Amino acid sequence: MTWQKWSYMDHWVLDTPQGGQNPYFNRSTLERYVRQLSALGFRSFDTFFFYLPLAAQLFGSIRAFEEFLQENGFDKITGIFSAYPNATRFTAPHVRETHDRIVADCEGIVRMAEGLTGVENLIVMPTNSYLDVEPVTDDTIKITAELWNRVGEMSIAHGMKLTCHFEFWGAIRTPRELDLFFEHTDPRYVHYFCDTAQHTIAGVDPLETFLRYRERCTGFHFKDTRTVDRDEAYRTPPDPELMAESTHRWFYEMGRPGGLVDFPALMRAIVDSGWDGWLTVEHDQAEMDGNNYAEATSVAKWYIDNVLAEVR
Amino acid sequence: MADGITWGYALNQWNVRLNVFVRREHHERAMKTLSALGFRTIELEAGSGRWDNLGRPELIERGHGSFAGFRAFLSSCGIDRVSSMFWDPGRPGEEEGWAFRLTTDPADHDAIVAAAQPFIDFLPQLGGSVLVARPTPSAWMTGPLGADGIGVVAALWNRLGARAREGGVRLALHLDCLGAIHTREDIEALLAATDPELVGLAIDTAELTIAGIDPAELYRAHPDRVRHVHLKDTRFADTGEEHLQPGAETAMLHGGDGRRIERWFFELGVEGGLVDVPGFVAALRDGGYRGAVIVESDHGPNPADLAMINSWYLQRRLGVVLR
Repeated sequence: MTWQKWSYMDHWVLDTPQGGQNPYFNRSTLERYVRQLSALGFRSFDTFFFYLPLAAQLFGSIRAFEEFLQENGFDKITGIFSAYPNATRFTAPHVRETHDRIVADCEGIVRMAEGLTGVENLIVMPTNSYLDVEPVTDDTIKITAELWNRVGEMSIAHGMKLTCHFEFWGAIRTPRELDLFFEHTDPRYVHYFCDTAQHTIAGVDPLETFLRYRERCTGFHFKDTRTVDRDEAYRTPPDPELMAESTHRWFYEMGRPGGLVDFPALMRAIVDSGWDGWLTVEHDQAEMDGNNYAEATSVAKWYIDNVLAEVR
Repeated sequence: MADGITWGYALNQWNVRLNVFVRREHHERAMKTLSALGFRTIELEAGSGRWDNLGRPELIERGHGSFAGFRAFLSSCGIDRVSSMFWDPGRPGEEEGWAFRLTTDPADHDAIVAAAQPFIDFLPQLGGSVLVARPTPSAWMTGPLGADGIGVVAALWNRLGARAREGGVRLALHLDCLGAIHTREDIEALLAATDPELVGLAIDTAELTIAGIDPAELYRAHPDRVRHVHLKDTRFADTGEEHLQPGAETAMLHGGDGRRIERWFFELGVEGGLVDVPGFVAALRDGGYRGAVIVESDHGPNPADLAMINSWYLQRRLGVVLR
């Protein structure tokens, strides 16, 4: 049985008369984007929390937007992503005084999803950037765990799983830090989200990490990289993904030569383990070096249909 | 919906400038894009020189070792076959000594027939069966052909159609919005002067619509002569005179003159499109058309972006099972 549950996480840039814009630029661009993903056979949709109000504005409501997705062959919106890359006095997961605010923010997000078919994941970056947190200590990780236990308990009451997505430049990035975080979070409330490229850049094997936290895993971002960060690029201000001296482009779509992620092996592990969730394709930086999201997404889906489909 | 249509896509839009579609990886990404969107049949366009390395059989052979090697490359990208090749005998190429040949000049006919042979030999080896040819130069170059002029080009295409048939290939004349065969009357005269067994038509929905000809009506009038289809939309029709401007290829199609329309060809389903795409495809189905319908997005921007929209339109608006 070929894997059918493929979702897409949007970072797209479309050409408009006002230059490259995100799909939520107007109703026409958003419709076009959804239709393009539909043509490739994606069946679910992941997005950022801050796009949902724009979708509501363009379609009348988030539910109306989801209905448009469903008219085009999608089952539903699967995941909503939120993050606090920068530490501020309002939002810093390793600072207890900011937790009430973050819990309230997250509750606002899950309430936006009320009435939808069934968003499965509230996906969060659990920390600010490494640079904003350091020195990273056991205490910063334990305090961060306290926060996400609270958020997870809140979100599961609304039918969504709180799941943590670890950037290579975040303040939980090594196997030891991951273990410590998951030891101090409640498995009922806090789950694991596997981004294949982010782990690989951080020197962490995504396959091993998936198997280690398989029971808590609620999703994946399938994307590739050609680089392991060996130069502490993860500490580059203000954004290591954009500003690292050593690497101008970190992320690539599946199927590119030189990719470090062993997707067939990961797919095999997923199938063998009996895990049965949505696999999400994500593309960051696909517009770099004269490339574009349309082609990157098509080529990645080709890889799914022609290479990963062989893994059964 | 079950019908006799093979849906394919033209690669011409990827090769928009001199040297942008040459590397193997670029070919590979274009073909994988089309395959993922459900287009497993492609059309190539004849070209010339090192930067058109999918444009001539000998260049393909050199690049891939053999035609079998090229076919293996296509297969590795999820492409099953090359259905057809578009060829304009009036376009000079270095392989023909940059000769400027006119199908309207009988003195050029021997050379044109000889120049077609490599394409005729090539197509069956890639699973293809149709040579899509431009029948005449642009109207601004020739003026009205008249019955005698149409007779001259018809004689050429009867010869070339016979040569193609010997090679297991069918000839389809592609009428475009600039060509000297430009009116419904011209088309009737051309069809009457050519052998139905040897010479067929390629209907290009946008080109004909720009020229003021209803592609569905033309198909219904001559279902037995239509051997090939290019499917795309347009938002504009020629005023009746624009194609007669000197250098209409640039002055008209590149928006340099007249109404300054910078883009004439559009994706299926475009707002304001003049082509009744559902009506045309219904006519093909009703008429029992069996052959390739090649979707094109030539003279447009990002090719992958447009191919996605075209695939969506076929799947969601026309009920075509592509994937």
